[in-house]
Amino acid sequence: MTTTVGIVGAGTMGSGIARVAAEAGFEVILYDLSAGALTRAMTMIADGLRKGPGEAAETFSHIRPRRDLADIGAADIVIEAAFEDMAVKREVFRALDRVVAPGAVMATNTSSLSVTAIGALTRRPESVVGMHFFNPAHRMRLVEIVRGSRTSEATVERVRTLAGAMGKTPVLCTDTPGFIVNRVARPFYGEALRLLGEGAASVEEIDRIVRLSGGFRMGPFELMDLVGIDVNFAVTQSVYEQFFHEPRFRPHPIQRRMVEAGTLGRKTGRGFYRHG
Amino acid sequence: MARRTGRPGGVFIAGESPLVEEYAAACIAAGMTVEVRFNSAPGGRLPAGARRALGARRDARIALELTNTSGEAKRKNLRAMDRALPEGTPLLSASAAITVAEQSGWIAGWHRLVGIAALPTLLGGSLVELAGAPSVAPVVIAAAREFFRAIGKEVAIVGDTPGMVLPRILCMLVNEAHFALGERIAPGDDIDTAMKLGTNYPRGPLEWGAAIGYGHVRAVLEGLQRSTGEERYRTAPLLARRGNAFSHNVEGMPL
Repeated sequence: MTTTVGIVGAGTMGSGIARVAAEAGFEVILYDLSAGALTRAMTMIADGLRKGPGEAAETFSHIRPRRDLADIGAADIVIEAAFEDMAVKREVFRALDRVVAPGAVMATNTSSLSVTAIGALTRRPESVVGMHFFNPAHRMRLVEIVRGSRTSEATVERVRTLAGAMGKTPVLCTDTPGFIVNRVARPFYGEALRLLGEGAASVEEIDRIVRLSGGFRMGPFELMDLVGIDVNFAVTQSVYEQFFHEPRFRPHPIQRRMVEAGTLGRKTGRGFYRHG
Repeated sequence: MARRTGRPGGVFIAGESPLVEEYAAACIAAGMTVEVRFNSAPGGRLPAGARRALGARRDARIALELTNTSGEAKRKNLRAMDRALPEGTPLLSASAAITVAEQSGWIAGWHRLVGIAALPTLLGGSLVELAGAPSVAPVVIAAAREFFRAIGKEVAIVGDTPGMVLPRILCMLVNEAHFALGERIAPGDDIDTAMKLGTNYPRGPLEWGAAIGYGHVRAVLEGLQRSTGEERYRTAPLLARRGNAFSHNVEGMPL
């Protein structure tokens, strides 16, 4: 039975997952090499818990910030939420393989890299699995459980149970580019960009149609501005590359031009719309 | 009691199920008189208050052709309606699968042709997309706007591109979900759950495909591929199989 969850990486996702795990009653070890990152994460978690409905101080006391990776050895399940770069994952998983307890599960929160390739970095690929949380982790109910080619059924079941215990809805998928959401959602943006490029309708008109006729909460351009046009473009490019240039996933030049121009959406004050 | 198109506000609707029923019900709810003709017998269930017709009446105020899945049936309907209806009667045609420009080449009255992004279930939204034929008369667009305003819908006028806006986006989402399901990356329920919870979509794409009808989705994708020549619009094998299996239903034959 899982009692202690280790989180590697105290960025936005790592701290969000740590908060959710603590709120679900688990002991949490939050690791990051950077003292600054840990301080920022603990402040963010404390602020979030104070605004939440639960017993903030009690929940907060279950999270132990640590700068020594060896401390992660006490965890039953480790969730890696480090920078989304294969070189970083390689370093992290080789180190984890040395310190994580035998029989413990090593999960990665990757949204775009191969879980199978990450598993192959360790001597126990059967214990490596994808556990893709969505941002913000404390609000989004979905977790994609990604089975690598060598992930064992027992490992899948353990993280599925953990996700359920965290109040999440787990869905199970195989290790393919973009998993479910980042793959199936691609046409939402890709076709909207093509319609814009073809002059069929304006940004505002496409968003309005998608909302009022389709019942979507946000139109594709509003959503790209919210997520970040650079982030959306990077996901599209990654899926396109991993599918060996399948035309369905081909990125659109409009999006690349916007990334080059630095008009990235809400975070820069300007994207498909002006903000602020 | 059956209503008649002879009174002011008469609407003639020809096409396939369930589009005919959806539009007929919306018109009747708005107090219009409606006559319908299904492409094949026995067709769909006639909404209360609508009446079956053999052909378009000369006194219809507005006429709708609602076929996506058969270009041949659509051409036949439009030609018959164009011949029977007075010159001033606007002709609104489902254009998610075939562009208005292509349809306007089939009839003499191209100036009265307006495309609708008509797919089953989309009339449930509060807005309808329209696209005019290349030289459509402004008065016809105004009449189409007025018709949709009368049934409680806003209108957006978009360019006459294959699939228009929402049908193109929606059918491509349905298609990608079928590629994923066919490749067994996840069970169907998990794909729908993931898209609803991970991206806040109002429906899962597989659920949506079933609600719209696989034949309609396939028709939109085939229209896109035919018009653009692009490989990206090819139909997922699983969706194509489902489209085939359900095409009998579209023709009004038992499954």
